[in-house]
Amino acid sequence: MSDIISVNKLTKKYGDFTAVDNITFTVQAGETFGILGPNGAGKTTTLEMMEGLKPITGGAVTLDGKDVAKHTRQVKAVIGVQLQASSFFDNLNLRELIDTFASLYGQKVDALKLLREVQLEDKQKSMVRALSGGQKQRLSIAVALVNQPKVLFLDEPTTGLDPQARRNLWDLINQIKKRGVTIILTTHYMEEAEVLCDRIAIMDHAKIIALDTPLGLLKHASVGSTIEFHVDKKCPTEHYRDLPAVTAVEDEDHVYRLLTTDPEQTLPALFSHESDCASKIFNLQLHQATLEDVFLKLTGRKLRE
Amino acid sequence: MHTTLTLTKSTLKMFVRNKQSVFFTLFMPLMIMVIFGFVGFDSVPTTKLGLVAPNPNAATQKFIEQLKAVPSLSITTGSEADERQALLKNDRAAVLIIPDQLLPDTPTAKPAIQTITVLENVGQLQSAKTVESIMSQILDKTTLGMVGAPELFKLQTEEVSVRATKYIDFLLPGIVGMALMQMAVFSVAFVFADYKEKGILKRLLATPMKPQQFVTAQVITRLLVALAQTAILIAVGVWLLHTHVYGSPFLILLSAILGCIMFLGLGFTISGLANTVESVPAIANLIVFPMLFLGGTFFPTDGMPGWLQSIVHYLPLQYLTNALREVMANGAGFSTIAYDLYWMLGWSVALVGLAIWTFRFEEKRV
Repeated sequence: MSDIISVNKLTKKYGDFTAVDNITFTVQAGETFGILGPNGAGKTTTLEMMEGLKPITGGAVTLDGKDVAKHTRQVKAVIGVQLQASSFFDNLNLRELIDTFASLYGQKVDALKLLREVQLEDKQKSMVRALSGGQKQRLSIAVALVNQPKVLFLDEPTTGLDPQARRNLWDLINQIKKRGVTIILTTHYMEEAEVLCDRIAIMDHAKIIALDTPLGLLKHASVGSTIEFHVDKKCPTEHYRDLPAVTAVEDEDHVYRLLTTDPEQTLPALFSHESDCASKIFNLQLHQATLEDVFLKLTGRKLRE
Repeated sequence: MHTTLTLTKSTLKMFVRNKQSVFFTLFMPLMIMVIFGFVGFDSVPTTKLGLVAPNPNAATQKFIEQLKAVPSLSITTGSEADERQALLKNDRAAVLIIPDQLLPDTPTAKPAIQTITVLENVGQLQSAKTVESIMSQILDKTTLGMVGAPELFKLQTEEVSVRATKYIDFLLPGIVGMALMQMAVFSVAFVFADYKEKGILKRLLATPMKPQQFVTAQVITRLLVALAQTAILIAVGVWLLHTHVYGSPFLILLSAILGCIMFLGLGFTISGLANTVESVPAIANLIVFPMLFLGGTFFPTDGMPGWLQSIVHYLPLQYLTNALREVMANGAGFSTIAYDLYWMLGWSVALVGLAIWTFRFEEKRV
C-alpha cells in the first residue's frame, strides 16, 4: 500500500495563536484515518488545510502526488468534502442539488443512483429543509461523492445525531470504505473512531499526542481491562495477584476487581484455579479498556469536558 | 462553460422559487403601480362651491343651472348661515351670495345693478378665483345676450392627445426603475450574505469551481430577470392602466440592462460590506430608500429646492428613470438619452469596481 496523503510539519497560526502545531503523518490509500480529539483541538483546521480551503502557515500537504498549496484546484478535483454542519442551497430539490454540484466538477452523474446509495431515493423531489438531521448528513455525503473522489473528508459526520442515525451513517461509511475510497474523518466520539478507523491520531492542543491502530493505542497506553466478580467465600488477595497479566487486585467485602493487561490470559487461569481456594465465582463482569480510557490516560482529562 | 450554464439554470430555478425575491421583483412594484395608477393623481380635483339664493326668479335660476353644469364645480345650495359655517370648516372654496332678482325675467332697457357677494376661502384662493372667472364669463355672455349684441367669436375646441400628460405615463418608467434597483440590490446582497453565513460559499470553494463562474451565473440570472421584469411591468401597465409607451423597446431594454449592471455592482458591494445577514437590510435600505424617493420615481424632482436638485441629479436611479421615461413616455431616440446612458455607464464602472474591491468570496479571515 502506498501513501496517498502525506502531511509534513503542518502548522496554522492566527496571529499569536497556534491552531495546528507542527503535525506530521501519512495516510495510506484505502485506509480510514481518524482524527480524534476534543473541541478546539485543531481537527477541523487540519482538515481544511488538507482540503485546500485554508491557507497553510507552515509545512506542506501532499495529496495524490500533488502539493495542496500549489495545485489546489487539481487536488480539489480528486477529493470529496463534507464540511462540519454544512448546509446547501434552499429551493433546489435533492436531485437538482446533486446535478448542480456535479457540474461544478464539470461532470454529469446519475443523481438517482447516488441518492439510492445513501437511501434518499424517495426524497429526490424534496428540498433540503424537509430532511432530518441524519438525512442531511447522508445527503452531504452523497454530494461529496459526485466526483468519485479518491479521498473523502468527513468532518464530524455524526455530531448531533441520535444513536440510530449514527449507526446508519456508520454502515454507509463502511460501504464507501469497501469500495477502496480513502477516508479521513474527525470525531470526538471514541466509539466511532474504534468502529470505523484503521488508524487513529489523537489530537489535543494543536498537537498529535498519539497515532496508532485502535488496538495499538490501547496496548501502548497500557490501560488495562478490569475483571470484576463476587465470591461466596473470601480468598487471600495473593491468590489472584499471582494470576498471569494481573497488575493489581482490589477487594471489597466479597467483591474482587482484577486489573489486567490481557484478559485473554487472565480469565482461563482464573477459572482453572477456582477450586484451589474452594470459593465459587459468580456475577463475573469484564470491562474492556476503551479509547476513552486511553485519552484519559494520555491527557489526564476526559474527552468531553 | 458547461459549469456556468448549469449553474445559471440552477440559480434561475432558485430565484423563481424564492418567494421573497419574487415579491420584491414583481409583486411589490405591480402593487404600487396599480394603487398609484388607480388613485389617479391627474384627474382634475373639483372645486366645492356654496350658493346662497333662497328664492331665485326664473332667469336667475337659469344662471344657477348654468353654473351647476360646469364639470369642475361641485355645488351645494343652502342658507347663508349654513354656507358660512361650511366655509369656515374649509369645506367650500368659495360661497356666492346671489340676489334673487340677479337677472330680470323680462328684459328692461337699463336694469338696476345687482351685487353678487363672493366669500373667498383664503386657504383655497386659487380655486375661489377660478370660480369667479367662470362666473363672470357666464354673466358677461348673459349680459351680451340680453342687450342683443352680435356674437363675434366662436370657440372651437379640438381634443389633442398630448404625450406624457397622464400621471401613469410618468409613473410607469419610475416603477420599472425602482423594481430593477430593488431586484439587483436586494437579491444579490441577501443571497450572498446568506450563502456566506450558512457556509454554502465555503462548500462551493471545496470544489474545483472558479469563483468567477459562480458570480457569472448569478449576474446572468439577474440580467435575465431584469429583462423579464421590465417586459412584465410594462405589459401590465399598458393592459391594465392604459399607459402609453412610445419609444423603441430596444432602448428600453438597453437602459434596463445598464441600470441592472449598475445596481448589481451596488448589491455586491453591500454584501461585501455586510458581515451578517442581519446587517444587509440596514445598509441596503440606507442607500436604496433615499434614492427611491429622491430619484424621481413617483414624483418629478422639479419641485425640490435647488440645492437638493443638484445632489439628486447625480443619483444612479435618476439616470435610469430619466432614460426610461424619455424613451417610454416621449419616444426619445438614442441621442436624447445618451447623456443618461453615459452616466449610467460611469456609475456601473465605479460600483462594479467598488464591488470587486469589497466583495470576498471566502469567509473573512480571522
